[in-house]
Amino acid sequence: MAAVPAIDYNAMRDEDFRHQVRSFFETNYPEQLRFLPRRVRMSEISGWWNTLYEKGWIAPNWPHEWGGMGLEAGKMVIFLEEMERHGIARPADQGITQVGPIIMKYGTQAQKDHYLPRTRSGEIIWCQGYSEPNAGSDLANLQTSAVIEGDVFIVNGQKIWTTLAHDSTHIYLLVRTDKEAKKQKGISFLLVDLQTSGITIRPIRNIAGHEEFCEVFFDDVRVPRDVLVGKMNEGWTVAKALLGFERLNIGSPRRPQYALMRLEMLARAKGLFADTGFLDRFIAIKLDLEDLAALYGRYVEQVKRGEPLGQDVSSLKIWAMEAWQRLTELLVEAGAEDGVIEGAHDIAGVEIDFLSPFYYARPATIYGGSSEIQRNILSKYVLELPS
Amino acid sequence: MPSEHAALLKDSVTDFVTRGTDMARVRALRGDPQEYDRAVWRQMGELGWLGIAIPETYGGMGLGLTETAIVAEGLARALVPEPFTACAVLAAGALAASENEALKGDLLPAIASGSRVAALAWQEQAGALDAAHIALRATPFEGGYRLTGTKRYVTGAAGADVYLVAARSDAGLVLACLDRGASGISVDLEPLADGRHFGTITFEDAVVPRERVAASGSAALGALSRALDHATAIASAELYGVMSRALEMSVDYMKTRVQFGRPIGSFQALQHRAVDLYIQQQLAAAVLSEGLRELDEKPAPQKRAAIASRLKARCSDAGVRIGREAIQIHGAIGFTDEYDAGLYLKRALVLAAWLGNATQHRRRYAALALQAES
Repeated sequence: MAAVPAIDYNAMRDEDFRHQVRSFFETNYPEQLRFLPRRVRMSEISGWWNTLYEKGWIAPNWPHEWGGMGLEAGKMVIFLEEMERHGIARPADQGITQVGPIIMKYGTQAQKDHYLPRTRSGEIIWCQGYSEPNAGSDLANLQTSAVIEGDVFIVNGQKIWTTLAHDSTHIYLLVRTDKEAKKQKGISFLLVDLQTSGITIRPIRNIAGHEEFCEVFFDDVRVPRDVLVGKMNEGWTVAKALLGFERLNIGSPRRPQYALMRLEMLARAKGLFADTGFLDRFIAIKLDLEDLAALYGRYVEQVKRGEPLGQDVSSLKIWAMEAWQRLTELLVEAGAEDGVIEGAHDIAGVEIDFLSPFYYARPATIYGGSSEIQRNILSKYVLELPS
Repeated sequence: MPSEHAALLKDSVTDFVTRGTDMARVRALRGDPQEYDRAVWRQMGELGWLGIAIPETYGGMGLGLTETAIVAEGLARALVPEPFTACAVLAAGALAASENEALKGDLLPAIASGSRVAALAWQEQAGALDAAHIALRATPFEGGYRLTGTKRYVTGAAGADVYLVAARSDAGLVLACLDRGASGISVDLEPLADGRHFGTITFEDAVVPRERVAASGSAALGALSRALDHATAIASAELYGVMSRALEMSVDYMKTRVQFGRPIGSFQALQHRAVDLYIQQQLAAAVLSEGLRELDEKPAPQKRAAIASRLKARCSDAGVRIGREAIQIHGAIGFTDEYDAGLYLKRALVLAAWLGNATQHRRRYAALALQAES
């Protein structure tokens, strides 16, 4: 384990902390990877991972005990805001954001000692094995099974939409361990090495032409019993233990800022603001995003006060993602014929890529709970409408 | 402490709307040229609300827009017809920001107590958002000005005792005070969707003595612009009150109305519709609290105008949408005059149009924001 000095970032004044984070990002983050309108691949971003690791900043949300920065919610929000502001790509960081905290909460001491340091160093890269062909929004319908035989689990089935599985060394899995139990009840949470025999990974090309997500097949895969996290058949509870600011970050108003800036530059260069039809649509979207920032700000204040986020935070995700999509739609339209030419090109002196942001924003209303699922959540838990 | 005031104000508004007014009273006053009840108005004066934005030296409470919005929102939720924003924010605000101390000392305490009702007559063209279009002539003479021209869309005109009129002289803008009964003034009322009226006020050589001039030149322009921005923000808070109640009514109805053997709130098409309205209401709440806080920090005029426009744009669209959808969610009963949903839609429509609708305010915001960035 690298010796990480336990600096108390939480004791710093917010503006000092923000300044320190910002200047580190500006000095060290590779310019060519800023504001990527796609998922970054590990081969491109491993240098940045190492830079953060050396600095002791790879796991801002983790406690000092496990080599993290130990940030409280308020500082964590600042850290994430500065990442968004500088357009820093998120590597395959689910080990840091999701499975790491889950292992800390539910794992055995042996699991913690084995996985946490390696996850931080990047020796282990995690991908998330939740969705299946017949378990998307209806995740609890998952069928991939794990059966105990002696001291091993035998895993059979298929996962899909597994982001960056081909860049990962390990997968954390939700599997069915009790076929008799109802839905959520018979599910367990496993940690599986992707080198294990019987696993096949097949990348899927998305509509943007990138291979970001994969299918992962399990064919009589034998893994030791100590890969179980938490109790048998309680994997659903384990998987649900997500941190508040992770749910907040998905509604960050900074993500669409780059596309908005590009659109504004293009509109000026092409004189589009003289067209009232365009102006009305542009300014409505600009205000949608500024009002999103106000809504986001309310939740940030709530997190900073140490209050847990309620189900109403789903409205932030819906609005953030749908406003982002509207923006990228207007960008394509503003390009007219140029808007459907692939790749970056020069329009009236502005270098612009119309289609990539448009594609990038498409799955935003599907992943992390689709907009429709979010509306179901708000309907049930916030408006308390009958089912 | 704003939060301390906020809690007290919230309680007193809640108490007032539960005991001091009801829907029967709101309905009875629809279309009545007097528009409101003087006894209720005086009660609002006693509670301090009519002087909420008037400095303490003139008998007011001297509170900020954040507190003023609490009163406006609470009254709007109950569709209270008394012209709180038009008098206590728009007219009183313009006068309070004026320069004629003697006039302020005479009028502002009376406005705050509720003994005199003021209305601001500034607008001449539909869709105008600022003083640029004002053409009503103020011709100087030895003792003051003579006013000639027509003002339109004056809210609270019917029951006002005194008009504060924005006129133009060769030397610039003039804010002048005239009593309702002064010679050379005639008032026509145009009925509005919500049962109130816009006043059209015609001035024919109406005389304003010098001591009744509240402000002139840049002081008049400054006072008027500030009052318009503040009233625009408070009208947004009214819209928030209207939309919140309309949404509550709709969601409650969805839980109780049964069709096909189930409450209609169990149907996903309606659930998602209601959720989208909830999101609009949440956005309006977030934008309002942020915008009002920023306005209370007294930003420069351009910034102030941009904030007011941002609030009015969001709250107007959200208010009208929620009002409209309330009718749809209720079905045929929502389209009846007997049911209250229609009253909320109509109030939202009028508030959305008053002081500039969403499109107009977004365009002003665009002009200000794009100018600031270039």
